[in-house]
Amino acid sequence: MTTTRRSLLAGAALAAGLSLAPAFAQTPTEIELFFPVPVDGQLARDMAVLIKEFNTAHPAIKATPVYTGSYDETLIKTRAAMKAGKAPAAVIMSANFLLDLKIEGEIQSLDGLVKADGKTNEQFMGQFFPALHGNAVIDRSIYGVPFHNSTPLLYVNVDHLKEAGLDPEKLPENWQDLVTAAKKLTRREGERTTRWGITLPSNYDYGGWILQALTQSNGGQWFNPEFGGEVYYDTPSMLGALTFWSDLIAKHKVHPSGVQAGGAVSSAFLAGQSSMVLLSTGSLTHIRTNAKFPYKVAFVPKNLRNEVPIGGASLVIPKGVEGERRKAAWTLINWMTSPEKSAWWSRATGYFAPNKAAYDTPEMKAFIATNPDAGVAVKQLDYASAWFATYKTVPVRKAIEDELQAVLAGKKQPKEALAAAQKQADEILRPYVEQTALKLPTQ
Amino acid sequence: MTQAILSARAIGAGESRGRPFWPRGDTALAFGLLAPSLLLLGLFTYAPVVQLVWQALTAQSTIGGPQLFAGLENFRALFADGAFRKALANNLIYALGTVVPSLVLALGLALALVRSTQVNALLRALLFVPVLFPLVAAASIFLFIFLPGIGLLDYHLAKLALSGPNWLGDPDVALYAIMGLTIWKNAGYYMLFFLAGLQGVPADAYEAAILDGANPWQRLRHVTLPYLKPTIGFVMVIGLLNVVTQVDHVFVLTKGGPSDSTNLLLFYVYQQAVETYDVGRAAAGTLVMLALLLAITAGSLRTLERSFGEKEP
Repeated sequence: MTTTRRSLLAGAALAAGLSLAPAFAQTPTEIELFFPVPVDGQLARDMAVLIKEFNTAHPAIKATPVYTGSYDETLIKTRAAMKAGKAPAAVIMSANFLLDLKIEGEIQSLDGLVKADGKTNEQFMGQFFPALHGNAVIDRSIYGVPFHNSTPLLYVNVDHLKEAGLDPEKLPENWQDLVTAAKKLTRREGERTTRWGITLPSNYDYGGWILQALTQSNGGQWFNPEFGGEVYYDTPSMLGALTFWSDLIAKHKVHPSGVQAGGAVSSAFLAGQSSMVLLSTGSLTHIRTNAKFPYKVAFVPKNLRNEVPIGGASLVIPKGVEGERRKAAWTLINWMTSPEKSAWWSRATGYFAPNKAAYDTPEMKAFIATNPDAGVAVKQLDYASAWFATYKTVPVRKAIEDELQAVLAGKKQPKEALAAAQKQADEILRPYVEQTALKLPTQ
Repeated sequence: MTQAILSARAIGAGESRGRPFWPRGDTALAFGLLAPSLLLLGLFTYAPVVQLVWQALTAQSTIGGPQLFAGLENFRALFADGAFRKALANNLIYALGTVVPSLVLALGLALALVRSTQVNALLRALLFVPVLFPLVAAASIFLFIFLPGIGLLDYHLAKLALSGPNWLGDPDVALYAIMGLTIWKNAGYYMLFFLAGLQGVPADAYEAAILDGANPWQRLRHVTLPYLKPTIGFVMVIGLLNVVTQVDHVFVLTKGGPSDSTNLLLFYVYQQAVETYDVGRAAAGTLVMLALLLAITAGSLRTLERSFGEKEP
């Protein structure tokens, strides 16, 4: 992995060096693609393969992939590059940062490029699953093109189910089923729990996402998808979701207390120390490769309805990328999100291919036939909606995550926690609200 | 280091007697020789500090708009922020809970391994190993050690039929888990300074103490420790600076969570700059940290000089 990264960096340095040389008419347009790897080193290699193929197919463009770390680090590095006046031509950006970037005026609308291709926005976005539109289209303008996406998914250890006398054909569909199954699956030796019935990740970022899934499954909405200045933390739907999570720990005793990091949750599942877990569909490949036991996946159990948020990343073009570089970036974006490439990347990573037509390719049909778990994940997309995004998404999310973590550690009751989170979030959102919804005619 | 400071002072004192208006030849030469590093210092240290001060006084008044002068607003917001006060308090606990135990541990280890035998050399090397890891790497190792249920700690506790706490996921425990990592990481480093310091304790001082009938504890209390004062002072400075400037492990292990219970000042500044995108408040936080660092350094350097004075009356 290090060699790959090093050679990528070397490539990036080389590209930077070359771009200083005077441009001749024949030289290809140089563009850089900033890309995060949220999972592991293998993906960085896959990306290099993908871009190499693109460069061979497009002699007029020379794209350089630049590995930029996690989603958060990619955001930091993009902003730093823009401040230095060297904005990358395209970035694979966490889908819930798009609204923030648009509000701060850091990414450009892609409407003009879509129009130049002779398409309407609806025609262009029509190729992607409807659940993904919410985080890509802001105020009817396209700001991002979905690249790889995910939803939370229930993973179940089939051996444990059989051992506990549960039917592996009937996985928990609602919260009551989930609690009943989790109780049967939990194993104790005296005071010590040796196996937990269910574990949900609750570290920063992951915890907010899972809580959003529970809230939506409970009929709630979490935030106003049309206006970035409102969150619905102190509401009955959220109170139900948070209380349910806290009951799994304190009342039913089927879930470990305190914060569980995402990586620890997948390790616990793979080690057989947790029989059921909620994790991203992005973990599918990891679980499939490493599970030493049969497992099954299912929709996130519901209380009132099946609904989950999407996750993942979109391709964006920063402000300040103009002319030939903008056109080249657009060519790259369209190529990367085409059905074939989208399907290839999906099989390599475990993420969804956002392009619906990807699932009509013969390779993908064969893949789903041999890996039915990937098929379940895609079906859940019909019940998915936009990922939490507001003005200052991360601190607004942290406001509830800090309270969630306090509840999971038994430090606070759900009701007071939600009130505190709402207060904190409203405080962060205040400047935006004052400059938008509360900016009224004074005369 | 202190030696250099002391001699620099001596030079300064010598020069102040009857200095001509125009710099003497050797002063010009001195500045000429210093110019390259002064230039670099100016470009990469002092200029950014000036820029930082300016940033701390500016804020965005309209969203997506430019940074405008805002006076001390950022500092007001900073001290009004519960998360900042929490980070400050955490940092104090963290400072006390890591510097003191690492110092005691390092001194103990140094005393135990002061005699140069082959076994001791091996043990010293082993104890020094944690220092060789970058903090990020060490934190990644501890991620596995602290992993609930499966991790090294819980694995061995399970053999004793015990269940450990959720090391990094319990707000009451997480900061102490991180402190444990820090002590493990730093004690070997500080031991090195104490080993060096112990070489400077004259053997006849011990002989005299033994002749006077001092027991081992009295020898430590009245001979070793007074001679080690400058070393203790120096290690304390290094330790305190580490406490403020190193947060790699927080970044890797907890990101300041659960519920801000492991948030430290530098990580708070990072959050303000990167997550909240509030450059002004991040700059204000940095200045507060800088002031703390300067106070620590100045205070300890003075103590150091004083203890040097005591040693040679």
